[in-house]
Amino acid sequence: MNAILNLLINGLSTGLLIFLLASGLTLIFGLMSVLNFAHGGFFVWGAFVWVWLFSATGNFFISVVGAIGIGMLIGFIFEKTLIRPVYGNHIRQLLVTLGGMLVLVELIRMIWGSNPIRAGLPVWLDGSIQLGGVVLIKYRLFVILVGLIIYGLIMLLLKKTKIGMIIRAGVDNREMVQALGINIKAVFSMVFILGAGIAALGGTLLAPYSGIIFADMGLQYAILAFIVVIIGGLGSVRGAALASIIVGLAGAFTAFYYPDLSLAVNMLLLIFVLLLRPKGLFGEKG
Amino acid sequence: MLAAKLNRIYGYSGVIILLLLLIFPFTNDSRSMLILLTQVFIFGIFAMSYDLLLGYTGIVSFGHCLFFGIGAYSTGLVLNTFATSISMFFLGICLGFLLATVVSYIIGMLSLRLQSHFYAMLTLGFSELFLVIAEKWRSVTHGGDGFTFRAPAFLQDRLFVYFFALASMVMIFILLRLFTNSSIGKVLRAISQNEARVQALGFTVLHYKVIASIVAGIIASYSGALYAITLRFVDPSVFSIEMTLDALLMTMIGGVGTLIGPILGSGVVEFLQHYLSQLGSQFPIFERWTLFLGLLYIVVILGFPKGIVGMFQELSKRDVKESKNYRKSA
Repeated sequence: MNAILNLLINGLSTGLLIFLLASGLTLIFGLMSVLNFAHGGFFVWGAFVWVWLFSATGNFFISVVGAIGIGMLIGFIFEKTLIRPVYGNHIRQLLVTLGGMLVLVELIRMIWGSNPIRAGLPVWLDGSIQLGGVVLIKYRLFVILVGLIIYGLIMLLLKKTKIGMIIRAGVDNREMVQALGINIKAVFSMVFILGAGIAALGGTLLAPYSGIIFADMGLQYAILAFIVVIIGGLGSVRGAALASIIVGLAGAFTAFYYPDLSLAVNMLLLIFVLLLRPKGLFGEKG
Repeated sequence: MLAAKLNRIYGYSGVIILLLLLIFPFTNDSRSMLILLTQVFIFGIFAMSYDLLLGYTGIVSFGHCLFFGIGAYSTGLVLNTFATSISMFFLGICLGFLLATVVSYIIGMLSLRLQSHFYAMLTLGFSELFLVIAEKWRSVTHGGDGFTFRAPAFLQDRLFVYFFALASMVMIFILLRLFTNSSIGKVLRAISQNEARVQALGFTVLHYKVIASIVAGIIASYSGALYAITLRFVDPSVFSIEMTLDALLMTMIGGVGTLIGPILGSGVVEFLQHYLSQLGSQFPIFERWTLFLGLLYIVVILGFPKGIVGMFQELSKRDVKESKNYRKSA
């Protein structure tokens, strides 16, 4: 029981971390069909800026806000310089965002060196709590909480606000929204920056979670996020959330019960979805 | 007229460069230069296989290292476990071809019927999977440290390997030239320009794309086998994203859809890497030469999407126009 509960929490927290990365990715894709291969770069920048600020200030919240700010700033620059010039050309978009990823990761290596860096944890999040004989690690519960709050906020933004309505309409039919006189490119810029910010937040949450951060970690998580976005359906936040949790739980349980299979489980999930339902669980576009 | 003349000049300069490369080892003793040029040939083959996907068919792959690594590992493993002989060398290459065919067929059938980014992601995912397998399946792959193996006697001579790689590159260039000019190749080029129209004309686009993916996979696996032979050592880095990025860079810088472009690009990238990492010992900023290559790559995509060869082609077109205008005014 103890093990199963802990695996459940592990899986959920990993899944929600992946969701933070995947939500921006899926919205950016749904809105402009831009597949951003540099999204993992924002994530890893978030992690490094957080660790750097946290070791300098010692304040958890200032560091998180700083990391998100830097993530959004990079997203803003990125969108203006790299993505704008290649709108509408899928192949060049794929190529240029991969180049952007390379530069982002190399800049990390240049600034912080290529060795892994240890990430600390604020005292009030350290340790574990006992709950009816079950030991639960505090930080993982915290990650789940933050992930759920972010999911709620995104859903609130999408369903209850005017800008959210425009985003949803844009995902459905971009030309129609444009024809109604809405500057969809400005909306897209906003979504892109927001997505970069959420990815950076994901990075900050990951840093204490794994204890060690390194430059290549962005790509590893980006691959997971891509898998999640495909399984959930490109453009669907709900799908991304569900798929993240599935991938997180599948990873946690197979790593415990069949360690040899855990490497392949995500790929198997992906292949399964591509064979049976290539547009994903909730996707409209195939 | 002028265009034909220019084309002839390019053709002649190609032959001259080839002749220079043939006599180079006899005029120069530099061992490091010999190895560097061999590397250029091998990556030229690798980049040409990438060009078949990106330039001729319009498929983006982010895991092309997958096939490179398959070739390197199958050749290395066969030579390591069985006897070191020529027949085993060819067996290893054939095993690489077989595996590359199977893997590229599976990936292609799964993802090529969907939008372009599915193939990009699935290849990336598969290459990461193979990287992990190479690191963790210790009993076969010897894990992250890799393993050394003995090459057959005739492939131990650096000079012979140099000529072998050069001959392979020229042969594959000619074969790919024939392939891209064949009826299949023409369909592939049509797909890259307007997929929907090719489908409407009654071609099964998926089959053609899968064929391109398999051919590219086989050629990449051959270049991987050569790479393993020159180093006589294989480790999981052949599956790393840097390998894919190298192919991508070379193809983009040289010029997509030209075949000769990737070879030029391979030369540019390899020499840049060589000299930038040398500079790195004096100026620490150049230690991160990948950063400079990444920036160069972005500049090329945004500013010169046709690469070096494309620029020359534009140049000759402009010359033709100017000479026509000149004749008119005269």
